[in-house]
Amino acid sequence: MKAKKLIATLLASTMVLSLAACGSGEGAGTSNAGSTESGKADATNEGAAATSDETLVIWTLADDLKDFAERYTEQTGVKTEVVVIAPEDYPTKVQTAIVGGETEPDVIVGEPQMLGDMFSYGAFANLDDFGAQDYADQIVDYVWEVGKDEEGIQRAISYQITPAGIYYRRDIAQEVFGTEDPEEIGKLFADYPTILETAETLKAAGYRIFASDSEINYFSGDSAWVIDGKLNVDQGRLDYMDLVVELYQRDLTAYAAQWATPWYQAMAGEVPILSAELQWGNWDDADGDGNPDLNIWDADNFNENVANFSDEMTEVFAFGLPAWGVLTMRDHVGDTSGKWGVCPGPAYGFGGGTFLGISSQSKRQDMAWDFIKFVTLNEETADWWIEFSEGDTVSLKSVLEKHKDDTNPVYGDQKMYAMWLELAEGIDYSKVTQYDKAIGDAWGQAISSIKTGEMSKEDAINTFYDTVQSTYPDLIIER
Amino acid sequence: MWNKCMKALLYFFLILLAAMCLFPFLMMMVNATRSGAEIVTGFTLIPSTHTADNWHTVFEYFNLFVGMRNSILVAIPATLLSAYFSSMTAYGLAFYKFKGNKVIFMAILIFMMIPGQLSLIGFYQLCSKLHLINSYIPLIIPAIAAPGTVFFLRQYILSSLSPSLVEAARIDGASELYTFHRLVIPIISPAVATMGIMGFIGNWNNYLLPMILINKNEKMTLPVMMATLRSSTDINANQGAIYLAVAISIIPILVVFCFFSKYIISSVSAGAVKE
Repeated sequence: MKAKKLIATLLASTMVLSLAACGSGEGAGTSNAGSTESGKADATNEGAAATSDETLVIWTLADDLKDFAERYTEQTGVKTEVVVIAPEDYPTKVQTAIVGGETEPDVIVGEPQMLGDMFSYGAFANLDDFGAQDYADQIVDYVWEVGKDEEGIQRAISYQITPAGIYYRRDIAQEVFGTEDPEEIGKLFADYPTILETAETLKAAGYRIFASDSEINYFSGDSAWVIDGKLNVDQGRLDYMDLVVELYQRDLTAYAAQWATPWYQAMAGEVPILSAELQWGNWDDADGDGNPDLNIWDADNFNENVANFSDEMTEVFAFGLPAWGVLTMRDHVGDTSGKWGVCPGPAYGFGGGTFLGISSQSKRQDMAWDFIKFVTLNEETADWWIEFSEGDTVSLKSVLEKHKDDTNPVYGDQKMYAMWLELAEGIDYSKVTQYDKAIGDAWGQAISSIKTGEMSKEDAINTFYDTVQSTYPDLIIER
Repeated sequence: MWNKCMKALLYFFLILLAAMCLFPFLMMMVNATRSGAEIVTGFTLIPSTHTADNWHTVFEYFNLFVGMRNSILVAIPATLLSAYFSSMTAYGLAFYKFKGNKVIFMAILIFMMIPGQLSLIGFYQLCSKLHLINSYIPLIIPAIAAPGTVFFLRQYILSSLSPSLVEAARIDGASELYTFHRLVIPIISPAVATMGIMGFIGNWNNYLLPMILINKNEKMTLPVMMATLRSSTDINANQGAIYLAVAISIIPILVVFCFFSKYIISSVSAGAVKE
């Protein structure tokens, strides 16, 4: 009996306490609301126009939109708030918010591989309602297509184009092939057998064609991975697989891993050739100094110890990167600056790009559309961005035309924009599907297990089919 | 002699272990003084000269001190509420016999096994309907229900709090709440401090919920702010700034640890009851 009383008291006191906690919380909430209201009142008092007492909210995963937003505010007086979210969490954050009915973001962005998902849960408003199609001819075609959902409704637009090209060393080209003309060099990369031939020629001359064997990856999407719900592995994919295996097994690359120290070093000149087993480093510690004998991710260790493993130095001829590689290369070429050139690869391809759209939940869609027009469809902005970013490639055809005679000193005064426009115009976006990232990764996995001899070709391809089947159970797979 | 040898060996291993634990901290401090390019090219223990640059980079992205204030505003109330209500629940479950006691305890055990991230979208919608987006309330109030802490404290109370102590208090006419506040809490304070420290660290480092629920730059907690440093267009550029921000952000954790760890060591219940 007594116990019951006690429990009752206990429960009651708990309730009172928790109510008190809630109460104080609510108090804080109301005072917050009060302050925002007074903030609004201030804005109206300033007598600003109807639009400017509201702030346009932009959610993004890359910091470059901050610069655009700053310029937009300067020019139009509309307040903007750019919320930058860590790239790996961005899809989760946006999906939770939009599906949860959040009205706060007005402009949201996506990268090509995220767009499929974002379309499917209805993240973006229909840009055609705002007359987007009037601008269809002004933007490079493939970018326009990427921003369309399955029904062909325009949902997002990008201010960048990201066609992939081959970045090559002009001085080596002159020495080995007697020409440095991008068009002639492009012929050396025309198709997979030619690339192998080129690679052999370069090896005979003491060079290596690529630093890693992943350089052709951007150009390998010559056919769609999925056609009518069916997995499509065509001959081109198998040829690409053979090419990578050949490059690796016939010692035609410098065995660097993409984005690792030796890979960056190869941009600046001589690099040691590592044997195939060493491309991921030698983690033994035979000399007992507490450090691995060779750590490719650690430049000091790498430079100190590499002589023990490789007495052969070489220079690398080419890199395969999208248009934004212009900036990456610029920051890492060092003394070879000015000796580079860019030519087309064996096929058309692209990688990355930030696409802007209006959140379907936004209450200020007209303002948002105005901002998107400013970022993507305004020639003056595009002009400014080319200068401000020091060489990024915009998506407005007219501006690319205008800058087609601009030369870039890092790349031997090559006229870059004309080339990127041409490469971008060749991209056939109908071959891109929302499955590309996962299937492409699985294919890459299969290739690396073949080249290292870990699996036979047949086993690797079967494992690939299994992986795809378990990732996308709905796909029809014919083995 | 043998003993001395053993001791020396033991101390040697302990020192080695301590050095191993401290090494990452040292590396973090050193990396905070280096630029992004230096960090990707390798690691060294010699500090570099880029602290000021890193500092500027951090403040270009956000105000570190605002983030710290926001994190404190979330972590301290959440920790206090969690510690108080968890010990109350644990005491209730351990010392009162009533119908359903076992059921409640089982329920708590089961809830321990469900990860909180499961229903993100639902939680977001709930908060959105309650107008609690951009507020710290959904980050603080749910901390009251901490099944793991309750479980731990219940076990501790059963093992360290003698029923005769509570009975003695009752005989002397103390009310139940008074007993809890003046008797139970002091005795279980080592366990509460342990769970408090863990809770504080957990709340301080909490990333997922604030990332989802806070949409305003100036209201973001520290881990969310620091994550935005990774959105730089140049992958390597901000590495040094990230290290610097992390190095600064662990200071409150160190302070809390220093302050509370003495409660872990001392236990008032020692010798309270003659068996």
